[in-house]
Amino acid sequence: MSYNFDIIGVWSLVIMTLSILSYLYGDNPFYKAAEHIFVGVSAGYIFAITWWDQVWPNLFGRLFPDYVKAGFEFDGLYIIPLILGLFMLFRLIPSLSWLARISIGYIVGMAAGLKIYVFVNSNILMQIKNSSINFDGSIWSILNQFLVLIGVISGLVYFFFSKEHKGTIGKISKIGIYFLMIKFGASFGFAVMGRISLLIGRFEDLIKYSSEQFYFATPIIFIIMIVVLFIWSTQNDNKEKTN
Amino acid sequence: MRNFLIKLGTIDRKFIFVLIALAVLIPLLYPNLIELPIKVDKNTKIVFNSISELKSGDKVLLSFAYGASTKPEVHPMAIALLKHLFAKDIKVYIVSLWPESPIMANQAIKEIIDTKLFNLEEGVDYALFDYKTGGFIVIKGIAENFREVYKQDHNGNLIEDLTIMDDIYSVSDFDFVFDFSAGVPGNAEWVQYACDPKKIPLSSGCTSIMVTDAIPYIESGQLKGILAGMPGAAEYEKMVYDLLQQQLNKNSNLNKDAVLTKGKALARMSAQSVSHLLMVIFIVLGNVSYYFSRKNN
Repeated sequence: MSYNFDIIGVWSLVIMTLSILSYLYGDNPFYKAAEHIFVGVSAGYIFAITWWDQVWPNLFGRLFPDYVKAGFEFDGLYIIPLILGLFMLFRLIPSLSWLARISIGYIVGMAAGLKIYVFVNSNILMQIKNSSINFDGSIWSILNQFLVLIGVISGLVYFFFSKEHKGTIGKISKIGIYFLMIKFGASFGFAVMGRISLLIGRFEDLIKYSSEQFYFATPIIFIIMIVVLFIWSTQNDNKEKTN
Repeated sequence: MRNFLIKLGTIDRKFIFVLIALAVLIPLLYPNLIELPIKVDKNTKIVFNSISELKSGDKVLLSFAYGASTKPEVHPMAIALLKHLFAKDIKVYIVSLWPESPIMANQAIKEIIDTKLFNLEEGVDYALFDYKTGGFIVIKGIAENFREVYKQDHNGNLIEDLTIMDDIYSVSDFDFVFDFSAGVPGNAEWVQYACDPKKIPLSSGCTSIMVTDAIPYIESGQLKGILAGMPGAAEYEKMVYDLLQQQLNKNSNLNKDAVLTKGKALARMSAQSVSHLLMVIFIVLGNVSYYFSRKNN
């Protein structure tokens, strides 16, 4: 803590954290201000880091290697991504916005082409292969693999809409629903755990910065916020009454 | 009793917020008040064993794809894994796939250096690379030609000048890939674009919310175990702490004078468990209350 800039950073952190948490009380000016600052800072940071870490060395580093000095040699083909990138910016000019479709078309086509092969390989073929039962294993592993197989088949039947879910198909799809519900339950449990983990992280920082070393940042800002919110809500109530 | 339970269902949600806050705050303020045992999960053991099987001098690629918002979950596992790797004298290469990831990677390396457990030299024992935008395109690029994607490390040194980069041309030159992720790109992209096609062992440490989507990859062996959220981090921290404690006087890669400390995730687990217990109570009470109120109506 040799510089006061550290203290400014700590106080900003505490203000932002408590402002976001203040949403639990209701929508209020602290929350709104923190939300807008977060969006602005994130956009600015991502723009700057993308420009300096990616666009500048990888694109301009290949077009102007002697000037940028990013370790690349001149490659004239990189004029194409430069033009496609500029086309994207033409969205801001209504009469030329159609040019952006060329860039978007390239991105969509390229991404779809790349994804098809890897998805079929890793998510379909490998998964089908591993849904089979290995009868050389122990009784428990066979039982486990059998359960996985039932889950896969019944889950797929549930999403088969070309035939009405009646009779045998209906019964199998009902088993599929139970497997899906277990999956959703597990996902919900993990989601709760993730959110609590984030809360723990925030509280740890708030506890750390409530010490004398940081000029009691947390308690001071917390008290100021409560007072301001109280005044703000009373004024709001008065306004509502007069209206 | 019945009316009381029905009334519980209409309780102001602010009251629940306060109880959850207390359930998290009290164990954090008084860590010794509630100490719950930690049972190591099968998937954490697989990760630990996979790393333990690597040899001195092996090369491991670490992908950092998380930021400040998910730091409490993922960062402790990154610290524990780095300790495990450096204790085995394994060369570490860190790439960043999220804009905030270079900050996380730098912090993780700084924390490791501050422990004074290892004598590390940048460019020899580890290398850090800057953020590259593009997600799965970057992963595909690393899989095909690492040197086309990265020409310099994060300090601007040409990779040809770094000893650690000798013989590194694509993902096939690494002995293991480990992904720390909190979304997209994450372990699924590493499976699909790099490690499945090139047959490189891959493991992952991710946020809790990603775990259920990663389970099929683990069952099929496409992922060698997983560190699942904060509990996964705490379990791995415990295993690495026990290992380093055993090896402190025997392992030449460790400084004997350094003080071993337990990781952060372990300390957080009591708060996690207590708040979960409270959530379960709320869910049960909520359902009972809903059942009675429906019966009344």
